[in-house]
Amino acid sequence: MTRRRLLFVFALAAVAFAQAPAPAPVPATAAIPAYKDLKYPPLHQIKIPEPIAFTLPNGMKVFLLEDHELPVFNGLALVRTGNLFDPADKRGLSSIMADVLRSGGTREKTGDQIDEELENIAASVESSMGETSASISFSGLSESSDRILRIFHGVLTGPEFRQDKIDLTITQMHSGLDRRNDDPQGIAEREIASIVYGRENSYGWTVEHEHLARIKREDLQAFYRRYYFPKNIQLAVYGDFSAPAMRAKLEALFADWKVEQPAVPAFPAVTAKPAPGAFLAEKSDVTQTFFTMGLLGGTLRDPDYPALEVATNILGSGFTSRLMSQIRTKMGLAYSIGAGWGAAYDHPGIFRIVGSTKSASTADALLAVRAEVEKMRTTEVTEQELRTAKDTVLNSFVFFFDSPSKTLNRLMNYEYYGYPKDFLFEYQKKIAAVTRADVLRVFRERANPANLSIVAVGNPQDFGKPLTGVGKVEKIDLSIPK
Amino acid sequence: MRPRFLLLLLPCLLAAQSVSDLQKSFEKKVTEFTLANGLHFIVIERHDAPVVSFHTYLNVGSVDDPGGQTGLAHMFEHMAFKGTSTIGTKNWVAEKAALAAVEQVYNRLEAERGRGTRADAKKVDALQMELAAAIEKADSLVEPNEYDRVVESNGGADMNASTAEDSTNYFYSFPSNRIELWFLMESTRFLDPVFREFYKERDVVREERRMRVESSSQGKLVEAMLATAYSAHPYRNMPGGWAGDIEHFRRPDAERFYRQYYVPANMTIGIAGDVNPVEARRMAKKYFGRLPARPLPSRYRTDEPVQEGEKRVAVASPAQPFLVIAYKRPDRHSPDSAAIDVLDAVLSDGRTGLIFKDMVRDKQIALGAGSQSEFPGGKYPSLFLFYVAPGTGHSVEENEQELYKIIDQVKAATVDAETLQRVKTKLRAGLIRKLASNSGLASELCSYYVAYGDWRKLFTELDEYNKVTAEDVQRVAKMYLVPEHRTVAYTYGPPSVPAQNGDGK
Repeated sequence: MTRRRLLFVFALAAVAFAQAPAPAPVPATAAIPAYKDLKYPPLHQIKIPEPIAFTLPNGMKVFLLEDHELPVFNGLALVRTGNLFDPADKRGLSSIMADVLRSGGTREKTGDQIDEELENIAASVESSMGETSASISFSGLSESSDRILRIFHGVLTGPEFRQDKIDLTITQMHSGLDRRNDDPQGIAEREIASIVYGRENSYGWTVEHEHLARIKREDLQAFYRRYYFPKNIQLAVYGDFSAPAMRAKLEALFADWKVEQPAVPAFPAVTAKPAPGAFLAEKSDVTQTFFTMGLLGGTLRDPDYPALEVATNILGSGFTSRLMSQIRTKMGLAYSIGAGWGAAYDHPGIFRIVGSTKSASTADALLAVRAEVEKMRTTEVTEQELRTAKDTVLNSFVFFFDSPSKTLNRLMNYEYYGYPKDFLFEYQKKIAAVTRADVLRVFRERANPANLSIVAVGNPQDFGKPLTGVGKVEKIDLSIPK
Repeated sequence: MRPRFLLLLLPCLLAAQSVSDLQKSFEKKVTEFTLANGLHFIVIERHDAPVVSFHTYLNVGSVDDPGGQTGLAHMFEHMAFKGTSTIGTKNWVAEKAALAAVEQVYNRLEAERGRGTRADAKKVDALQMELAAAIEKADSLVEPNEYDRVVESNGGADMNASTAEDSTNYFYSFPSNRIELWFLMESTRFLDPVFREFYKERDVVREERRMRVESSSQGKLVEAMLATAYSAHPYRNMPGGWAGDIEHFRRPDAERFYRQYYVPANMTIGIAGDVNPVEARRMAKKYFGRLPARPLPSRYRTDEPVQEGEKRVAVASPAQPFLVIAYKRPDRHSPDSAAIDVLDAVLSDGRTGLIFKDMVRDKQIALGAGSQSEFPGGKYPSLFLFYVAPGTGHSVEENEQELYKIIDQVKAATVDAETLQRVKTKLRAGLIRKLASNSGLASELCSYYVAYGDWRKLFTELDEYNKVTAEDVQRVAKMYLVPEHRTVAYTYGPPSVPAQNGDGK
């Protein structure tokens, strides 16, 4: 009884609120325009910083950019190498090398001593390995720039690769590998790459315990020697300093580093074949299924890249996209859902749709997502969708220039991958020119749902409907080989 | 009003000097004003690029969730993107009636269900169908995601929101010629929010919990740890709330919550970037002046009773083990706060932190380990947290005991001068890095203003750090890192999960 009466009061309150007049006084609202009627002044001029570019006598390219807002000092050396160069039987080598490059110290100092010296001045020097580039970055207060540069120089030119730190990194990698099935999203991301690129090449393979066990100090040293030489490196320095003085410092600092090596070969080519179907990775301790659908995409050079970007945005980018509207807002089936074309600079990336849904709605969500892809390639998008997608890109264009370091990083990447300096502005023009017919055509040609590989990580005991409704199901073996 | 701490320790004199210079240069860029309704604005001018970041900080979070409705603050946060009576609707008069109809059917359904075992199953089924039809009708009058579309298509970047224990935050950036659009959109959503698509969004919020907590071994562990460490205070609940609470949210619950907590005096707004403060003030009055002044919400809060003895909780999980140890600590206004932060940095900042050096680098028993001085919030007495991911072949217990040895060490002896100085230098550099982005600035200045009544605390906090002595660090370690006030939480695997790499060492 009591509960019912309470509910009744409840209902009255709800109605009362719904019928209450808007709390704003009428005269005030009258002065408030509708968003459609707002007029915008022209945007203030975008100042594009011009870094100073030069090449040191030893062949290392340098970019300098002054920025005096804060007393900080940063830099990034980009090395032409990557984990795509890992030998098949020693996968993980390049990552271990990059880690120990820093932790293993230099001839004069151990890595632990470097840790203390850097942290005493609140600075950092970090080394890392990516797929198609390696980096050594540094950061600190401008008052310490000389000391930071000396340490950076030591790490870059004279790493010692001490054995105790090689052991530490390899032990850590073994432990990390044992944890690779703990995060369902991580499993979906790893498996989609393996399935789309294939498991037998460095784009798609996984590092196993047996590979780590084979890696020796000589391997690290050989990898380092092959790729870390001046002509193979670009260095960018930005922050609170004077460029002419910095140039003189760098010339003096790197005068003694004259190592030469033959030019680094091209990265291996992608040799992927479509692998359509559903791939199930069973995980018992989840209440959601994490899924990734993917197929081989393209590069940024691709003439259709701008149209593909617009199409993918309409399908699955931001809160306004079709996937968001349909799967999340209308069906309430997902919190996280989105798509990305995923173009890379130098090799085809993976077009991906990523999301998660409660176990019981796994098949429903996957089918609904695939239907949205199909719709993109059978019917033209609306004029409003096209305009929203283009406006979103074009009106946010200014954010490409909101910090000097973004501009600098972009220019370095263009240089590194051999792109024209005005690539971004060409992209802007091409986005503006994309038509509804383009969107339909590129998705017809490039995003055939019949080619989609679907990875689902979840608990099939709780799936409402069997996954076979989505396609032929292949089980993924998650066991970790010893 | 403006706190000053001019008595500085000698070794840091130079360092602190440059920070106070920075603060002075910031004073020139910052304009503050409060509207008649109590809404406070902090405007920071940075004209390097024609962009502006906005941050709306609500001094309300999941600690304010009503009993039995954990997650309601978060649910409202989602509703704040659903539009208004003019944005997001195809026909507001019809939609308003349809929304009211949904609630009426829902009330009848709940009344029938409320009969418990005497409920008529057929009636419940019929009402459920009726409810689904009423929801569908209301949804058909919605212009989907219009609010988001206006922001995104005008170049809005990184639009999102977050609900934490202590606060709710709404933020994005615009090209600077769109400032007025932000004023219009942001003021309108808090003046005239329409809670449309409420029950679909409730499903979305439920999915968010499945993703963040239920499908994550660490999420489940932290949830169990909080529920164990706190017996009474609402910090015991994760900000997303408990599943059963979420599944029963009703639209009027969220509307009541909004009316109680979304009052202008409970709101602070930070604007950083290419903005003219005079213009900002004019537009603030025009747009946010519309929000009616209302009294600040009362903050009745359950005090957490003193913990009497160690608590332990184990969570079964097939994932590799994880360990969390939490000690009770006072809230952020405690005079010990600065010393606790320094202790945290001594223990775990960077590669020179004691925990990394001992457990990860030298003994190699952990894949990762660290600490956090304040968790899950800071407004109320909170937790000093340690977390460890044991390395393969090393047990939770071994790691737990090793951690206690390190804690005993900081209690037994004072840290050396070099370590203490290093930590202070890093705290100073950390501040400078916080000043580098518009969005970071807008957010930091808001949260410091709300927590301490003055954004300058962001800078003056460093003076407090500089005053911390090695004895202070030892004292707070002894005072707070005590076994009686600790909660130990860990996951344990079924015995069938073997150590994969016992020979990898």
